[in-house]
Amino acid sequence: MAERPQILVVDDEPMVGKRLGPMLERLGGEVEVFSDPYAALLRLPKKHFDVVVSDIRMDEVTGLDILETALKISPETRVILITGYAMMSLARQAMAKGAFDFLAKPFTPDDLRAAVSRALDSLGFAVAPQPPQEQQSRA
Amino acid sequence: MNQTPDTDERAARETIPPSPRASSATDAARRALVNRPSLSLRLHIFLVSLLTFFFGVGVALALWHNSQGVEEKLGFLDIANEFIIELQQARRFEKNYFLYGTNLGEAMDNTMRAREILKRNAEPLRKVAGERSFAVMLPHLDRYQELLARLEVMDQPGVRPDPEVKKQIELELRDHGHQMVSFAENLVHKEQISVRKAMASFRGIIISSLLFLTAFMLAVSWMLRRRIVGALVRFSGYAQRIARGDYTPITPARRYKDEFCDLALAINGMIDEIQSREEVLIQSHKMRAVGTLTAGVAHELNNPLNNITLTAHSLLEDYPELDDAERLDMLGDVVQEADRARRIIRNLLDFARESGSQVEPLDLARLLAETINLAANQIRLSGIRIEFNATDNLPRVHGDAQQLQQVFLNLILNAMDASPKGGKIQIVVVPADEPNYLAVKVIDFGSGIPEHIKNAIFDPFFTTKAKGKGTGLGLSVSQGIVAKHGGRIQVSSREGQGSTFTVLLPITTIPADIPDLHPAAI
Repeated sequence: MAERPQILVVDDEPMVGKRLGPMLERLGGEVEVFSDPYAALLRLPKKHFDVVVSDIRMDEVTGLDILETALKISPETRVILITGYAMMSLARQAMAKGAFDFLAKPFTPDDLRAAVSRALDSLGFAVAPQPPQEQQSRA
Repeated sequence: MNQTPDTDERAARETIPPSPRASSATDAARRALVNRPSLSLRLHIFLVSLLTFFFGVGVALALWHNSQGVEEKLGFLDIANEFIIELQQARRFEKNYFLYGTNLGEAMDNTMRAREILKRNAEPLRKVAGERSFAVMLPHLDRYQELLARLEVMDQPGVRPDPEVKKQIELELRDHGHQMVSFAENLVHKEQISVRKAMASFRGIIISSLLFLTAFMLAVSWMLRRRIVGALVRFSGYAQRIARGDYTPITPARRYKDEFCDLALAINGMIDEIQSREEVLIQSHKMRAVGTLTAGVAHELNNPLNNITLTAHSLLEDYPELDDAERLDMLGDVVQEADRARRIIRNLLDFARESGSQVEPLDLARLLAETINLAANQIRLSGIRIEFNATDNLPRVHGDAQQLQQVFLNLILNAMDASPKGGKIQIVVVPADEPNYLAVKVIDFGSGIPEHIKNAIFDPFFTTKAKGKGTGLGLSVSQGIVAKHGGRIQVSSREGQGSTFTVLLPITTIPADIPDLHPAAI
């Protein structure tokens, strides 16, 4: 079987990881979820991740720390940051620092899938077909 | 005409219409001010003038009476002198008669004239010299005349007078003449003394009435001074008190109602106006604080909203593949996150809600914890740490929770503005150095307040923030609120090291009440 994209999800809201995990797995990825950003920071050097999805605003370790660490370890890693509207300037700053994309909370699974698909596309992964239910969810 | 007592009362009240916003305290103060016996300054001055006038009339009457007495006495002296002159003339002729045998007729004439004078002036003479002097004088005069008449008879041609008898008559004549003159002279002398006495009593009346009038005027002016200057001093005290933010209405300070009562009522009305305006100001400033907090709340709301969106979409997309337990778990998550969203906005809505001033015993430590919670989103957004410490079991303070929360929130938001990114703010609630006060200290380690603007920071509209960022009303409004609670705000700051704002609040602030409302107790 072709190599599955390795995806890391970091958000101190546990429910985000809980929902994002299955969604990204259905996209064909192998997903690791952390709700403790510090643990995620320690995990980064130990394994190569193709895509990192991280909340930008967390208490001790921020999304920017995750971004910097991930790019230092592997510059081709695609980092997608999740942000609230109030942090737009921070998001722009993150883009300048090399983030691949950002998602503004609240986002839908489609938004997430679109962003992650583009990241995987840019890395040359074949993206799994969209689940058929997606049409219904739009209705 | 046929008004009921009720409308009568209303008509009486209409002279001083209570402000439509009059608080109950002002209303009570108004009643206490109005229900006093009236002694207006106008009446006071009128009474004093009336008394002075009557006193003047009294003095004038006394002088009039005295001068009349003197006039009578002088008239008497004139008559008495005339009388004495006639008698002396008669005696001179009498002497001539005995020496040379002439002038007996003239002596008779003079005596007649003397009697004439007595008769003509009987009324005034009696009044001055008294009945007794007439009783003394008249027999002498009668006898004198009789003796002269006998001599006249003896001188008739053909009559040979007995020298012995003549000698007898001469002696008797001399005796009566001498007694009459000396009696009259004595009377004159006495009356002259009495005139002198009357003149002296003029001086007495004038000097004593002047002394009395001086004393009376001094007393009156002292009383009026006390009423007017005293009232002015009291009212300038009220003005200072109101400027400090103490809006207790003016209550009666004196037993009687006067012109200053109207002034007190007007000031009480003004206090009500100021108070209601300040409430509007406090409320509008609160809405600004709410605006600031809204950014944090909106950001924080994104988290539950995001969770609900993701969960609901997942449920929609994956519904057929999910078993019941998973569906229930997802729905439970949605409910839980919706509840979380509600909690996030509830604090802010509680704070923003316009509520009437409510004074109650407050646990300052809890109030501070709630305030920090209210600003929590904003604090998290700014990346600033808050260290909160409160002494255990602090006594309570009386106050309006919402207004005090507004003060603390304002100080916290200010401290956040002053703090560098990643800085910290210390908040402590401790007993103050001053007994019976609690101190809430908000300490930041930011830029500090430059010395030259330290005195201006509580001024309305003074702000160091960029245009559109601050109204410059925060500290001014906060100070107003704290002053109303009987406390004050202190600032210590060192440029480059940070600032400490200390809110001192009294432990037992008895809610504003009017002491001694009953006129009898004043």
